[in-house]
Amino acid sequence: LKALLVLIALLPLGFAYYKVESAIDPIKMLYSTTGIGAVVLLLLSLVPSTCKRVCHKNFLSYRKTIGLLSFLYALLHASVFVVLDSEFDFVTIFEKSLKKPFIYVGVIAFIILLFMALTSFKKLFTRFSKYHKAVYIALLLALLHSFWAQKVAGVFEYSVIVAGAVLLIERLWSKRRSYI
Amino acid sequence: MNITPEALFNARRHFLKLGAGALVSSSAISQLLAELPKDLSLKYIPDSNPQNLTLNTLEQASNYVNFYEFSTDKEAPVKLSQKMKTSSWNVGFFGEIKTEQMLEVDDLIAKFGLEERIYRFRCVEGWSMVVPWIGFPLYKLLDYLEPNSKAKYVKFTTRHEPSMFPDQAKGIFASIKHPYVEGLRMDEARHPLTFIAVGMYGKRLLPQNGAPIRLVVPWKYGFKSIKSIDLIECVEKEPLNTWQEQNPKEYGFYANVNPSVDHPRWSQAKERLLGKLTKQATLPFNGYEKEVAGLYAGMDLRKFF
Repeated sequence: LKALLVLIALLPLGFAYYKVESAIDPIKMLYSTTGIGAVVLLLLSLVPSTCKRVCHKNFLSYRKTIGLLSFLYALLHASVFVVLDSEFDFVTIFEKSLKKPFIYVGVIAFIILLFMALTSFKKLFTRFSKYHKAVYIALLLALLHSFWAQKVAGVFEYSVIVAGAVLLIERLWSKRRSYI
Repeated sequence: MNITPEALFNARRHFLKLGAGALVSSSAISQLLAELPKDLSLKYIPDSNPQNLTLNTLEQASNYVNFYEFSTDKEAPVKLSQKMKTSSWNVGFFGEIKTEQMLEVDDLIAKFGLEERIYRFRCVEGWSMVVPWIGFPLYKLLDYLEPNSKAKYVKFTTRHEPSMFPDQAKGIFASIKHPYVEGLRMDEARHPLTFIAVGMYGKRLLPQNGAPIRLVVPWKYGFKSIKSIDLIECVEKEPLNTWQEQNPKEYGFYANVNPSVDHPRWSQAKERLLGKLTKQATLPFNGYEKEVAGLYAGMDLRKFF
């Protein structure tokens, strides 16, 4: 079942690869595909624990897979930035990453996901899992980054913000209840 | 090789349909006759393309548009706009001019004639294309309207017709404030490069490209080139254009293409030419520096962005 999940999650990438040659604005298309993929999968990676509390079904074993897939999309997204958009011009990349909130918000979110991906395997996970709460910071930054990516935000940008808000509010709510 | 011209191909298809229709009923024939596509090709003086610009394809230019009256998406307006009624379209001319009046687009074409202009087009979002527009320079229209001494700016307004433009019917949920407004300083408006387009690629404008009449100002970001114009007014004060009103920190009145003045969220140094996987440098005033830089002599272009 996990293999199927990975396959489905990778489908948009295959599609993008197939379409890139005929795309009207190929760089933008790759940005959108990988960015949307990363945000959607990041949101999905938060669903299993919600699911456990709300509908008492245990999908926690999928969490890591979904999270790593989200990281894969984020990695490709960052690669589009470095390779296609900036053409390895590291001075500009560095300058942009410091100066432009739109860029550094994305960069910070990516660094958090990178950290989580590197520490998601057995040995390191036991040591670093408590820091994996940083995923919430990454999510908020990623949502802000996607909101800023358009001249004006559209249906997708608002939808993912609503989805993120629902997942976060449920967590706060269940935490409060557990204190009582 | 035998290649059937597009017009002939369509005519043949209609003829075949007519033949089939004759078997059905004569009312079906008259219905089909009414559906015959209007000839959308235009007669114009071609541009010799002295700069040797490589054109983007009509397919690219007509399937990747910003037309917020339909959608914030780039491709959705293509489908959403096909029912737009663009023939018999009056444009109103008001304000500080000799005689306020309304004129039909075809009257304008008859009055001012048509020529082709192959221009670079650079969107503020960072993509660009090269398009062969067909129309007439705005100064010809202004000469005819005879603005008076109070006329310092030209203000353009997109048609407000919520039944035609779905986003205009959304009230507070609209993506931007409607109707869309743009403006030019009188000397910018009178510059020979400033162009009113009624066609592109040899034919009438497609609905999604701002049919039936739009502005094209090649040295400014694309959002200045307002679509589906309803009103042209000569005014005394600088008009507040839609994007400046929407977000004054990010968009100004002038919006001259300038690789050394960044958008707050992204750099403007390079651009993505549609259809290309690699980027190219953006030129000052989008490559029209020689022609237009004089309009802004002594102005701080960081301040008047």
